[in-house]
Amino acid sequence: MRLKNIGYRYEKRWVLKGIDLDLRAGEILGILGPNGSGKSTLLKIMDGVLKPQEGEVTVRNKPFHGYKRSAFAREVAMVSQENTFRFSFTSLEVVLMGRFPHLKRMQFEGSGDIDIAVNSLRATEALEFAGRSIHDLSEGEKQRVFIARALAQEPKVILLDEPTSFLDLKFKRDIFMLISSLCCEKGLSVALVSHDIDLVAQYCHRLIMLKHGNIYASGDPYKVITSTNIEDVYGCPVLVDSHPLSGRPRVNLV
Amino acid sequence: MIERYRAKIITPSKVITLSITMLAMLVLVIVTSLVLGTADVSFKDILDIILGNTPQDDPIRLIIFRIRLPRILLAGLVGFALSLGGVVFQAILRNPLADPFVLGVSSGSAFGAVLAMILGFGFGLGIPLMSFAGALFTIYLVMMIGARNIGVESSTILLTGVIINAFFTAIIMFFISVSADDRLHTMLFWLYGDLSQSRYTQLFIIAPIVLIASIVLYGFSKDLNIITTGEENAAQLGVEVEMIKKASLIIVSLIMGLVVAFSGLIGFVGLIVPHLARMAFHSDHRLLIPVASIGGAIFLIAADTLARTIVSPSELPVGVITAFLGAPFFIILLKKRGSQWTRS
Amino acid sequence: MKDYRLIIPNIILAALLLWSVPSWSMTFKDALGREVTLSDAPERIIPLAPSLTEILYYLGLGDNVAGVTEYSYYPPEAKEKPSVGSYIDPNIEEIITLSPDLVIGTKDGNLPNSVYLLEQAHIPVYVINPRNVRDSLSTIDEIGELCGVPEKAHQLVENLNKRLEAVQNAVASRERPLVFLQINKAPVMTVNKNTFLNDLIILAGGTNMTADEPITYPRISIEEVIRKKPDIIIISTMDMEELGEKARDEWMKWKSIPAVKNNRVYLIDSDIINRPSQRIIDGLEAMARLIHPEINWDKK
Repeated sequence: MRLKNIGYRYEKRWVLKGIDLDLRAGEILGILGPNGSGKSTLLKIMDGVLKPQEGEVTVRNKPFHGYKRSAFAREVAMVSQENTFRFSFTSLEVVLMGRFPHLKRMQFEGSGDIDIAVNSLRATEALEFAGRSIHDLSEGEKQRVFIARALAQEPKVILLDEPTSFLDLKFKRDIFMLISSLCCEKGLSVALVSHDIDLVAQYCHRLIMLKHGNIYASGDPYKVITSTNIEDVYGCPVLVDSHPLSGRPRVNLV
Repeated sequence: MIERYRAKIITPSKVITLSITMLAMLVLVIVTSLVLGTADVSFKDILDIILGNTPQDDPIRLIIFRIRLPRILLAGLVGFALSLGGVVFQAILRNPLADPFVLGVSSGSAFGAVLAMILGFGFGLGIPLMSFAGALFTIYLVMMIGARNIGVESSTILLTGVIINAFFTAIIMFFISVSADDRLHTMLFWLYGDLSQSRYTQLFIIAPIVLIASIVLYGFSKDLNIITTGEENAAQLGVEVEMIKKASLIIVSLIMGLVVAFSGLIGFVGLIVPHLARMAFHSDHRLLIPVASIGGAIFLIAADTLARTIVSPSELPVGVITAFLGAPFFIILLKKRGSQWTRS
Repeated sequence: MKDYRLIIPNIILAALLLWSVPSWSMTFKDALGREVTLSDAPERIIPLAPSLTEILYYLGLGDNVAGVTEYSYYPPEAKEKPSVGSYIDPNIEEIITLSPDLVIGTKDGNLPNSVYLLEQAHIPVYVINPRNVRDSLSTIDEIGELCGVPEKAHQLVENLNKRLEAVQNAVASRERPLVFLQINKAPVMTVNKNTFLNDLIILAGGTNMTADEPITYPRISIEEVIRKKPDIIIISTMDMEELGEKARDEWMKWKSIPAVKNNRVYLIDSDIINRPSQRIIDGLEAMARLIHPEINWDKK
């Protein structure tokens, strides 16, 4: 996926300006930035939900507007923060919704679709919840089901908006590990937005840091996560050192 | 092992089986309703009529074919349409308490119809057309005012509906009270519904439109399923959200307009029946639509039969019965969902 | 070869036959312009309004009444008849079960749907529409003809007409006091000129205070009554003892109204002024006595 010179404006205010980014297969891209820097907006543009006033989004060299909605959904999947289930569906049914872009209008899900759904649940270790109502699950369990749904779409790109914000420590780690392994195993491209800078530093191949809607820094974690950058963007003094085991940057508050 | 999961999901055969069962229940309710009423009619009488053993002018036969049957059929169609409208509204507004009556769409329809009568288009298709326009206009108002920045799930949209309802009802009452034709029963018709004016010609118009509408809406089942989980969610899964929303709302306006023009305001059907259907069966629209629609037909036929037998030889307006059943139901629902409102 | 001798007896025979067979079949046109054909004088009649019940009994056809609507309690024998439901929306099934050969309805009261359904059931329906007092009397004539007792009806109506004219003559040269007719206690409601009751007031020698109101049965405020200063207030009530008295007490507080000051707040029985039947003349006479007490009504 490629974004060229994206600009997005909400009413009079430019939320994003001059965004260029490439997303390659098999890589995890982390998007950092304080609240209001435009992270979620960027993700929504990548997901095709919002249309940028400037610039162009292409997926596999084909511009976004050349795709029909369902065709696009076969390429790009998103796990967003908004997941309101007013009515009761089981986890399996939720994951099967991910098969929607692959089905024709009046077509019911077939055994192939069920296989894919079950495997997706298996991959996110959520198979045991298959028959349970989505309302009965904890936040962490729900998150895994949503990731399974994204997987069921069989996309090339997965976007995640704050996938770990409501999760316990253990789950945070689990999700990141899961994303990482999926990425490597299936050659997916992943872009994620997160506030967990440490985890992002650990698991992402590349990072971009947004400030006021512009790209402040981009590159590998070592390059992007520096105390100067963080202080400049987040307005908070920190000390950045190396994680003893992995060598990745580690952020310490002062 | 996959078999275990296959058994849990919706398949065409499940849909067909359930639909046929519901239809069988519908036939049962129709036959029972044919037997109930002021005049004494037995099952044997009905059998004789079907077998052609009764003379043309037999009073029982006349009662069945000229009075009860058209009324029951209208009740069935209206109940079907109201329930279907409720299901679709609840899906699109992601709100289990949404139904065309609660949101004022029915009163908007009635307003359109009354306006047509006052302006003199009260013939032929004039009334249903204006009724449809009224429904569309109201839906537009509701979406504009209630759904603006707050999002369709909140209780604001219900409040908007209540107010719109009150507004249109007041206008209707005003028109009726100042019109030269001071017939009290007209007011009752508009405010509480009246199925006794059913004509076979009307049924021939209403039935195909409602059935076609239900087939089209059934085609949107999967989309509606996903829309209930959030519009952005739906968009990113490939659902043409705007198109489905607009098409669904227009189709529902059409059937609501039609139904209100011929039967007045009957409320709560679109609230109670979809809910019961969801609780008893499933939220998946591929199952919900047939179950709730046919269920709506059954419900209204039963309510109307009750209305015309409970204080015989007098009659209660059918809307009174549905309100009697619906209002407590609504309150129980509100209490149950109370905790969920605070989350949103 | 023509046999002239047979023609005359044949003609006489034919004439005798035609004359003896009660061939009565007639077609009538009702107030809606509908043609109603009866092949014989009806024996089972269902009147769809209390006033019609009264008229049938008045014409001596009480035994032919097969069913009545609610509130048909005059004459008292009518209460024993089977009920067919409310006057506005009668129960068609019940009517069909009673096998009437004629149903009489009113345009103003009954639903058009009832007429339609009865037609569907092949039951003859005759609709009347009396708009004023004189119409009520001609209705009695109409019904008399419809039901095979035209001479009796005609005679009764003549007498009623005489009474009507008597009242008219008596009040002819008199001044017309301003009358406020109250038909409902709370809210206070009255009638405009498009009503029966207005006609009654005029015939009884008064002027309707609210004749020019735009709404037919308007609600009116007490201030309005105070402002218009009616000479007479007549309260139409079904319950003369309690409700009627209470309503009267309400008015007695407002001494500025001429009617109150001069103690001319009266009660009148709704039944005799609301029903377009023979009793309307009773109502007329009662009202005339209230409006013009100065006339010596009892001299004949």
